[in-house]
Amino acid sequence: MESTLVSLLHGFSVAFEPINLWYAFIGCLIGTLVGVLPGIGPLSGISILLPITFGLNATQAVIMLAGIYYGSQYGGSTTSILMRIPGEASSVMTCVDGYAMAQRGRAGSALCIAAVGSFIAGTFGIVMLTVVAPPLATLALKFGPPEYTALLTLGLIFLAYMSSSSLIRTLLMACTGLMLGMIGIDNMTGHFRYSFDLVELGDGIGIVPVAVGLFGLGEILSTPSKNVTGKVMAPKLRELLPTTQEWREAAMPIARGSVLGFIIGIIPGSAHIISSFLSYALEKKLSKHPEQFGHGAVAGVAGPESANNSASTGAFVPMLALGIPTGPITAVLIGALMVHGVSAGPQLVTEHPDVFWGFVASMYVGNLMLLLLNLPLVGMFVSVLRIPYAYLYPLIIMFCIIGVYEVSHSIVDVWIMLIMGVFGYGLRKFGFDPAPLVLGLVIAPLFEQSLRQSLIMSNGDYLIFFSRPIALGLMLVCIALLAMSALSFFLKRNDWRTKLAVAEAGET
Amino acid sequence: MTLRTDHVAGAAFVGFGLLIIALSGDLPAGRLSMPGSGFLPMLVAGLTIVLGIALFLRARESEPFASIDWQDLTHAGPVILVTAGAIAAYTVLGFIITMVLLMLVVLIGVERRRIVHAAIYGIGVVILTYVIFAIFLKSPLPLSPFGF
Repeated sequence: MESTLVSLLHGFSVAFEPINLWYAFIGCLIGTLVGVLPGIGPLSGISILLPITFGLNATQAVIMLAGIYYGSQYGGSTTSILMRIPGEASSVMTCVDGYAMAQRGRAGSALCIAAVGSFIAGTFGIVMLTVVAPPLATLALKFGPPEYTALLTLGLIFLAYMSSSSLIRTLLMACTGLMLGMIGIDNMTGHFRYSFDLVELGDGIGIVPVAVGLFGLGEILSTPSKNVTGKVMAPKLRELLPTTQEWREAAMPIARGSVLGFIIGIIPGSAHIISSFLSYALEKKLSKHPEQFGHGAVAGVAGPESANNSASTGAFVPMLALGIPTGPITAVLIGALMVHGVSAGPQLVTEHPDVFWGFVASMYVGNLMLLLLNLPLVGMFVSVLRIPYAYLYPLIIMFCIIGVYEVSHSIVDVWIMLIMGVFGYGLRKFGFDPAPLVLGLVIAPLFEQSLRQSLIMSNGDYLIFFSRPIALGLMLVCIALLAMSALSFFLKRNDWRTKLAVAEAGET
Repeated sequence: MTLRTDHVAGAAFVGFGLLIIALSGDLPAGRLSMPGSGFLPMLVAGLTIVLGIALFLRARESEPFASIDWQDLTHAGPVILVTAGAIAAYTVLGFIITMVLLMLVVLIGVERRRIVHAAIYGIGVVILTYVIFAIFLKSPLPLSPFGF
């Protein structure tokens, strides 16, 4: 524990360097704007802006991108409360009671509770990250190829199990991502795979063109400008303070949301989205006045907003400690670190302490920045919504093209982005969530290498995955999850995931 | 029988899996004790086919294919074409000319905005972006044959 504190102090010395503070501020500011703007979620925001960080060092890049991530969680609540438009998916639940509070003239109060709840939950998440990640990384050093294979398999199955869309659809998306991840030179044999004599495909398909295409361009293609409304209500600064009664009603939901969010955050899946739905359901269940939910219940804003912020911090635990993405956003962040020659995973703490601890410390600072940014400047952020979408989306297309081209100055990558954009548009039409595809793409090289190494180690015996304690434990969890899914499928039982999907569909 | 979205999606994934298997013909799958470069692609393609069939068989739970709303295609189609044109021109005409053209075509051609507003906005944001990338971020953007 003492060494953790010493390392954290070192992290603060990195985070408080003026240049790092600047990038944390820029990240939080852009993130809030990304969250405020409907149609641009944190994933597309991070993907589009990823190339801007190429000129920075790894620490600055990850500080800025993480700022965008948790900034977008804060920003998403603003449009939910003021316009009943979720800036991003995890803010859907905030729309319900946040907008109802705004209609009763308590918009400022709802915004303040959301911001303070997010700050407390975010800080709780970072404290837990500080405590949990280093020991987990030490444990992960004991992992060999079979353990990594089992862990990655568990990650995919968990994602499919937790997904509110169907298990088959999620797995199909993950398989497509794995296939895309196998394009290019096979590292173990040197064979070219599916590169169609294109030299640019020799190194494989990058995560940036795929993510920008699926989430940036794909979103624009699915959003005609006539569907985006521009009515905005902006509360005044003096209206922001909640009453004592409202603080009292918000206190416990914030505490519960923080804990629940962190636990869900470290589990693979779209954690911040799931956590806000579960927190809302939990608060409704525990409330003495469940009938107030949907009509402006303070707990309906405080719980989900806290949970989604805590979950986004929790998602960094497996990313930093194990090098395993728990969702597409952490997958893109791992890709960003790779671009800078830094591998996320157990060695990160020891080999790049500046990056690891600087990043953790910057999150404390970033959370405080967001609180100070979001409340006084709410009017400014809201005014961004007055820019007509018809003027905004050509700008985003331009950034998509620049962003992808700047990664490796390859026009083939930009064509891939366009293909992925059209593919993403098609996937939305057929009700597929493209997020598991990105996850599959990122883990494909590590998964293939560890699987093949495991089989070579065991002379082709699959039992290697069941003969080592850690791998066995992970595989048993995989089997249990598949069995639970199969059970609910055969019994045609509506478990919590189905209810979640129904609630999600009903609210969006 | 009503054609449903999952019929189409399931069939497409089966086709995708078969295509991967066909394209993997010359990749050695190896043995279990020494898996080759075709091992995992074949495994994943097989799984894709199985899952595609499962999706097809459960298609009655999905929406009818005819119920998909394609109205936004009138927005998506032109945007795709304009973006493709911009990509084709990007390294030939350079950043500034290509992006100004992209802005003008989208704002005037697709969104029917006023020419003067579109021109001021389009040229303004492109120049601003060029300055940010080329000067502040020191990240060179493609130049036109005219040297800018």
